[in-house]
Amino acid sequence: MTENEQQHLFETWLREYRAIIFKIVRAYAFTAMDQDDLFQEIVIQIWHSIPAFRSEASPTTWIYRLSLNIAIKWVRRERRHYAPGPLEDAGHLLHENPVDERLRWLYQEIHQLNEVDRSIALLLLDGFSYKEMAHIIGITESNIGVRINRIKKHLVTKSKKEDYHGT
Amino acid sequence: MELEDLQRIWDSQNNRPLYVIDDKAMNKQIRMKKDRSHHITNRSELLLIAVNVGAGCLLVGLNFAKPGRNLFIDLTAAWMFGTALYVLANRSRRIKGDKRFDRSVRGDLDHALSMATYQVRLSRLMRLNVLPMAALILLGMGEARKSLWLMGAVLGMFVLSWFAGGFEHRYYTARQRELESLQEKLGPHLQEERG
Repeated sequence: MTENEQQHLFETWLREYRAIIFKIVRAYAFTAMDQDDLFQEIVIQIWHSIPAFRSEASPTTWIYRLSLNIAIKWVRRERRHYAPGPLEDAGHLLHENPVDERLRWLYQEIHQLNEVDRSIALLLLDGFSYKEMAHIIGITESNIGVRINRIKKHLVTKSKKEDYHGT
Repeated sequence: MELEDLQRIWDSQNNRPLYVIDDKAMNKQIRMKKDRSHHITNRSELLLIAVNVGAGCLLVGLNFAKPGRNLFIDLTAAWMFGTALYVLANRSRRIKGDKRFDRSVRGDLDHALSMATYQVRLSRLMRLNVLPMAALILLGMGEARKSLWLMGAVLGMFVLSWFAGGFEHRYYTARQRELESLQEKLGPHLQEERG
């Protein structure tokens, strides 16, 4: 793959699939600074991963898998050592658009889950099949099934407690 | 709510992205990275020149004051003056080259990267410089018939400098990589900005 092709694919992906990255950033990083940091890390890794991408694979699955892996690693690393960089005064790269209250609540609930369940919750809400989820996350379909039941129960019960009736 | 309701809420963000990318903050981040690179480069050049000239003068003075000149000490001092001159020449070339970068974000980023690359090269050369310096100093000490203990201690200090130099070099390389990644990442965005 030439550098021009890599650049072209990168631009296209960033334009078409940035919503996936935003969702993952929002689900895994809480503060604005962390969101900037995780966003940068995911975007950089996507750039580096492009030469390894095979066109028969779906870019959505590829980007989801890559970004979730980075987010999970990022959360584990951040937990070990938190060191804000000297660039925190530079302002934030990402600015949040006004979000529906129910969506905000949903993200808060997703944030309560452990890292792997968080990934499954995102994929579930984005309509991925068990098989695709198993492929992206790297655990068995039966394990995915068990976790999905637990996540669904958690979200549905919490929504009832929060009194969000219907949409 | 059932899962389908949650999915409908979830899908609402597909029409409107969760975030917008703040160009001003991005520009500021790049400028800060450039200023930091500039500051580090400037300080390390001046420090290298001062240390090499200072230590070279001291060696010449000491060698001159003692009866029976030690050739290796003179060579060490000459090597140090040469190093200071080399750093000075590179510094002048770098400062002249700074003018070729325009005041755009792209220019700032290219400038920061160019300085980081320069710093990586300089730190590699200064680390390698420890080897001839150690050889000359130890030969000088040998000629002056210094004790093996003292020579061992000096050798130990050079070994420490070698490892410290490696640590410094890795730090600059990491900064260079960080800027390269930023350049790769922002490439399309900056092209859009220019276009």
